[in-house]
Amino acid sequence: MICDEFFDVVVIGAGHAGCEAASAAARLGVSTALLTLNLDLIGQMSCNPAIGGIGKGHLVREIDALGGIMGRVIDRTGIQFRLLNRSRGPAVQAPRAQADRALYRVEMRRTLEATPNLNLRQGLVTNLIVKGNRVRGVELQDGRRIGATAIVIATGTFLNGRIHTGRQSYEGGRAGEPAAVEFAEALKRLGFRVGRLKTGTPPRLDGRTVDWDAFEPQPPDEHAVPFSFATDEIQQRQLNCHLAYTTESVHQAIRENLHESPLYSGKITGVGPRYCPSIEDKVVKFPDKTRHQLFIEPEGYATNEVYLNGFSTSLPAQLQQELISLIPGFERTQVIRPGYAIEYDFVDPRELSPFLETARLKGLFLAGQINGTTGYEEAACQGLLAGINAALTAAGRPPFRLDRRESYIGVLVDDLITNGVDEPYRMFTSRSEYRLALRHDNADDRLEPKGRDLGLVGDSDWERFNQRRARLARVRTALRENRLRRSDEQYSHCRDLTGQELGDSLTLAELALRPNINARIVMGLIPADVRMEIQMGDLETSLADHLYAGYLDTQAATIRRLNQHDSLSIPAAFSFRAVGSLSHEIVERLERARPESFGQARQVPGMTPAALSNLLVHLSAAQRSVGSPRT
Amino acid sequence: MHFHTDTIVALSTPPGRSGIGVIRVSGPESLRILRLLAASDSFNPQPNLLTLRSLIDPSTGDVLDQALVCYFKAPHSFTGEDLVELHCHGSPVLLRAVIDVVLKADARLAEPGEFSLRAVSNGRLRLTEAEAIRDLIDAQTDAALRQATRQLKGEISDTLQPAKDELLKVIVRLESSLEFVEDDLPALESQDIWEALKRLRSALSKLADTFTQGKLLRDGLKVALIGRPNVGKSSLFNRLLGHSRAIVTEIPGTTRDTITEAIGLDGVPLLLIDTAGVRTSVDEIEAIGVERTRRAAADADLLIVVIDGSEPLNQEDQNVLSEVAQAKHIVALNKSDLPTFSVTSFKNPSVVGELSMIIPVSAKTEAGLESLRAAILQPFANGSAQGESLLITNARHHDLLVRAIAALDSSERLLGQRASEELILVGLHDALRYLDEITGETTTEEILGQIFSTFCIGK
Repeated sequence: MICDEFFDVVVIGAGHAGCEAASAAARLGVSTALLTLNLDLIGQMSCNPAIGGIGKGHLVREIDALGGIMGRVIDRTGIQFRLLNRSRGPAVQAPRAQADRALYRVEMRRTLEATPNLNLRQGLVTNLIVKGNRVRGVELQDGRRIGATAIVIATGTFLNGRIHTGRQSYEGGRAGEPAAVEFAEALKRLGFRVGRLKTGTPPRLDGRTVDWDAFEPQPPDEHAVPFSFATDEIQQRQLNCHLAYTTESVHQAIRENLHESPLYSGKITGVGPRYCPSIEDKVVKFPDKTRHQLFIEPEGYATNEVYLNGFSTSLPAQLQQELISLIPGFERTQVIRPGYAIEYDFVDPRELSPFLETARLKGLFLAGQINGTTGYEEAACQGLLAGINAALTAAGRPPFRLDRRESYIGVLVDDLITNGVDEPYRMFTSRSEYRLALRHDNADDRLEPKGRDLGLVGDSDWERFNQRRARLARVRTALRENRLRRSDEQYSHCRDLTGQELGDSLTLAELALRPNINARIVMGLIPADVRMEIQMGDLETSLADHLYAGYLDTQAATIRRLNQHDSLSIPAAFSFRAVGSLSHEIVERLERARPESFGQARQVPGMTPAALSNLLVHLSAAQRSVGSPRT
Repeated sequence: MHFHTDTIVALSTPPGRSGIGVIRVSGPESLRILRLLAASDSFNPQPNLLTLRSLIDPSTGDVLDQALVCYFKAPHSFTGEDLVELHCHGSPVLLRAVIDVVLKADARLAEPGEFSLRAVSNGRLRLTEAEAIRDLIDAQTDAALRQATRQLKGEISDTLQPAKDELLKVIVRLESSLEFVEDDLPALESQDIWEALKRLRSALSKLADTFTQGKLLRDGLKVALIGRPNVGKSSLFNRLLGHSRAIVTEIPGTTRDTITEAIGLDGVPLLLIDTAGVRTSVDEIEAIGVERTRRAAADADLLIVVIDGSEPLNQEDQNVLSEVAQAKHIVALNKSDLPTFSVTSFKNPSVVGELSMIIPVSAKTEAGLESLRAAILQPFANGSAQGESLLITNARHHDLLVRAIAALDSSERLLGQRASEELILVGLHDALRYLDEITGETTTEEILGQIFSTFCIGK
């Protein structure tokens, strides 16, 4: 095979998945190429200019702990940081930041260009080069052939993308950019099961034409909580967002023009995300709501463009302008980029291994929207995992996976490959059975040692990690060894706060479990000389560990009792047909899902208790007879 | 080696009356449970050897049975774990009582085929043997399936569904307030959640209680005779039994310990318990007997309060009646053969309570005995006996409902302490998991689906 160039790993697409994949592969020491349609749009945020949120923020912290780059880039380019759910428990808090869209691209490109082994290439991929059941490279539209040992596809909405506004529709991967149509055909020819999904984006407005006094400002946090464990402090200037609301007259106008919407005229067949509905959907599905909340988000320091979050629409561009003008405060406002809906192809993720490699072609990895997910963070974490495994494959090292018990990334991959998707998949904390254990502030403790083992966590980060571990140990000691006594000045105040009797004395660790006792109060009770050496963040992490420990024990016991065989693994060569007493339908379902463990088999739709019981006995017996280790 | 943390128990012989019934206990707690039943912490049975022991109910001190017990030390047992076999007499009532003790000692009922499963996963059975075992399990699960369609789907699931829907609604409210903090959701009213949990709890308790009823019907019920000394409890006991088991004398307080016998009454198995007469200021041994009586009474499904109808009601009778006021009971007015017997003076509600059933009876002449038998069986008059194979499944359902209720209680406590939603949700999700074990799994997708159809989400 004659190629113009050869790399160990080729990554197709430089969105959030592709950037993480290329960065990780290159830093694992293999030669890597990142292919993109347009080098100026590396790390482009196609939709809302924000990263993080509940569940998603957790993912970014995990990416960072493993040695990924998203957290560092947003920390340098975020223009409004907020820690969400501050009034809730630590497990469901997460950081969220508005980004300067342009700065984010610049910083991402700068980060990639500073990475040894990483080569940027512009070009449109039209085909895979395949030999036997292995990928060998890619063909570009301009005739170039690039050889590769492993390939990561991270094409986002570009794969057979089609854009809709009103009755108009045209091929495109993003407004103003071409779609990857030939490549989509190539994947279908190779036999991949392909489906269609849809997403949408709202109009962008000219900020100079907004009557800002009409909208309530939403200020940033006073003390920004960064995404990266390596970031000490967010230094750049922070901006406000603003809250807006639709009115009945807007709803009425939408209802009257529904026939203009490709969603309601039947032009769009792809399934959209229920948690990110278009304004048309909101008005139709919740007719009793008299107003819908919108967010006016700045796009960056150097632009007047603002993003109208919550107003995703595919109505005709002119109608969008009319609807916007009906909102008080937007009477003079100009739409500078209309919103639109986009349909794109995705590949059934049940074909993937936990390493995100396809079963069909060795050395081929898929990441991001091509696997049916939505969201920058969901894409990035898959890119990281796919990039790691592509590099490990190229280097002849064993693959890397994450368990759903230890990370949201593990939950995401397990959900995808076990259940597939019916609509774009987004992370929620409720997707994890282990929510209390998977906190944003302990992602380093859970994952950084794994990142270090892989070779993605550098020496200075590793040293910082070990220092934090040592500090946390000291905080634990301080909580255990210091007591609140009846004779103490603050005793009665604490008792009143908790509304409970506290006895003659109790340790600060015990006190922290009582109602209404927060980290600030505990900090005030630590002797001054010790307090000087304790950081509030470390104290909060220690208290969270302590608060949840009891729940985690009982929860683990419940889950263990109910699912005690879940970790029993199903060998790749295991024949469900040979179990014998399973119905045809169930054998088919199992063969399609190819569960890797009994726990995954349990979640395959349509499994009956009887089938599971049979499978379990057979599995146990098969494992025993080959003498393989059990977990 | 596969890791089983819990200890399981099951009746290993076919249910129903038989010569002997073998109960198997497998898991790390087996030996501790055997020692508990043998009422001796130092009981050190030689492995693989049958030993005759009295099995004691540790909560009452009653001897349940004289049984042959055998301890198999891990890994040299059928399951490869510590395993205990109890060869008891084959009365369903007795076997139920023994299994109850084991369950109270923190074991749980085995799932169908679970002993075999443990044997396979611990390498005590080879693949070929497992094939045979699988057929066995097939048979059991087929039965379970038949039941699933007939009983489970038809009755239990239908009854449980409204409660599960209510639970899901609460979960959806709390989850959406956590996940969609920036969306414009209606404020979370903890009072609403509170009331929903209360409704839920009472619905589940009611359901759990009906399972207890069903269990009684199949497994029989414990009926204790109580009353002040010398009103004829033991005579009545012997009459119901059909032979003289209890020593009957004119001396008050002859029965100093509880006596238990299993009988069948019109096909319903009964565990009939004679107790020491309840009175104060007695000698030490009798005091122990009275204490046992109280425990037996607390443990019984039905009490027969025996009163001497030939004498006026005295303070001791009154004490007994007020003690049982809250329990299910029948009043047997004994000695109807004596000329001084009168029933009218007892029919005053201030004496025996409005709802008490009063049966005049003579232990001596057997007059009224049929009415007493009918009164005992009255709760079962409308039910029809169900297949014995339902025993385990229903006990399991009951177990799951009780666990679900306990999980709800913990959530309610946290709600009261204004704990954060993710903590309150722990108990709610646990409760849902337990209910799911009965009705089938609720997936995260279903919960999310309900969130999105209830609230307009979409920042």
